[in-house]
Amino acid sequence: MNNSFADLDPIYLDYAQKYLGRFMPITREELIELLQYCEIRRFDKRTIIVHEGEIDNYLNLVVKGLIRKYLPVRKNEVILQLATEGHVVQSEISYLTKTPSMVVLETLEPTILLSLTYDKMEEALDRFPKGERLGRMILYGMYVKKDQNRYNRLSKSTRQRFFDYIDNHQHMLQRVPQKYLASYLQIKPETFSRLKALLPKRQK
Amino acid sequence: MLEYFRQFINRHIALTDDEFHLLASKLRVVHFDKKTKLVDIGDVATTIYFVFKGISRRYFYRGKQEVITHLIKEGGMMGSVISFITGEPSRYILETIEPVTAYALSKNDLEELFLSDKKWEKFGRKIITAFFLQTERQILDNIRYTTKERFVNFMKQNPDLVMRVPQKYLASYLEIQPETFSRLKHLMVKEK
Repeated sequence: MNNSFADLDPIYLDYAQKYLGRFMPITREELIELLQYCEIRRFDKRTIIVHEGEIDNYLNLVVKGLIRKYLPVRKNEVILQLATEGHVVQSEISYLTKTPSMVVLETLEPTILLSLTYDKMEEALDRFPKGERLGRMILYGMYVKKDQNRYNRLSKSTRQRFFDYIDNHQHMLQRVPQKYLASYLQIKPETFSRLKALLPKRQK
Repeated sequence: MLEYFRQFINRHIALTDDEFHLLASKLRVVHFDKKTKLVDIGDVATTIYFVFKGISRRYFYRGKQEVITHLIKEGGMMGSVISFITGEPSRYILETIEPVTAYALSKNDLEELFLSDKKWEKFGRKIITAFFLQTERQILDNIRYTTKERFVNFMKQNPDLVMRVPQKYLASYLEIQPETFSRLKHLMVKEK
């Protein structure tokens, strides 16, 4: 495992600093100190990094690439998250409770992750000054996001979900197969195509 | 009641006697009539509750329709948690269904604990983790189970709620159409 951060693209550190900076101000030196608890993990595209039934031991920040998280349902897959640079992705229940994962994590592009095991996370939060505060704020942030996603899913119409997402994630139309986006937005593929055809008109 | 609360807290984090008594000193016992709104849309929530008696629901409006996201009974925690942690106006209504008795913990008191010792930061993290896990499990269950499976699982796991909560609330919570809910209920009675 390559744990040297010296040869790491500084932009990767920027993602980490930006992510943590949402919760509390953090200097580059503090960031480097925290990263000592992390691992750098590299995966080819189309690699399953967490299987169904496996215990997910990592909290991951994507610094390059793209991961889809999905729930196998009977013969289908329902996509729960499409994580790109700057996003945190993991099988949350599995990680937090050390139980077999219900969801699958798979890379769609060559991907680089900054990853933290549960035990290392507890150690880092314990040792790092204000670490416990940071840990609480991160969980607060995760909960707010989870609730927001659910609220959006339950409260918005199909059309609204589509346009809100595409407006904020233009680049995803190029990076992700359409059927995955449709699954993520819980829109039927035919409806997705129809809505996509409306895009040029709408943007004029 | 305090002992019951201690067992509840122990499920999430181990506290020493002194720590537990400090926490307990911040709690207020509160009673509410049935159908009392504890948080309304637009309110900023400043309290979370640990419930001893009674059932409540948390919901929002999609147009004119109520969408129930939580049913909270004895042994549960409740609040408009997002508003509580962000200080933003609540999008949810928290309302009792039955008369409710609970311990109330105010945001100010909790913040004071956080500042007093990092142990309480960890306590805060464990509590929010419990809320997080509950929501995530519910999201995954509503996706991975069929309507009928959701209905049957809920009936098995919460026979008490089936007796105590109006059917239309249960249907909304389980994301099942009210008519489908009635049909499934009839089927279940026949199968017995």
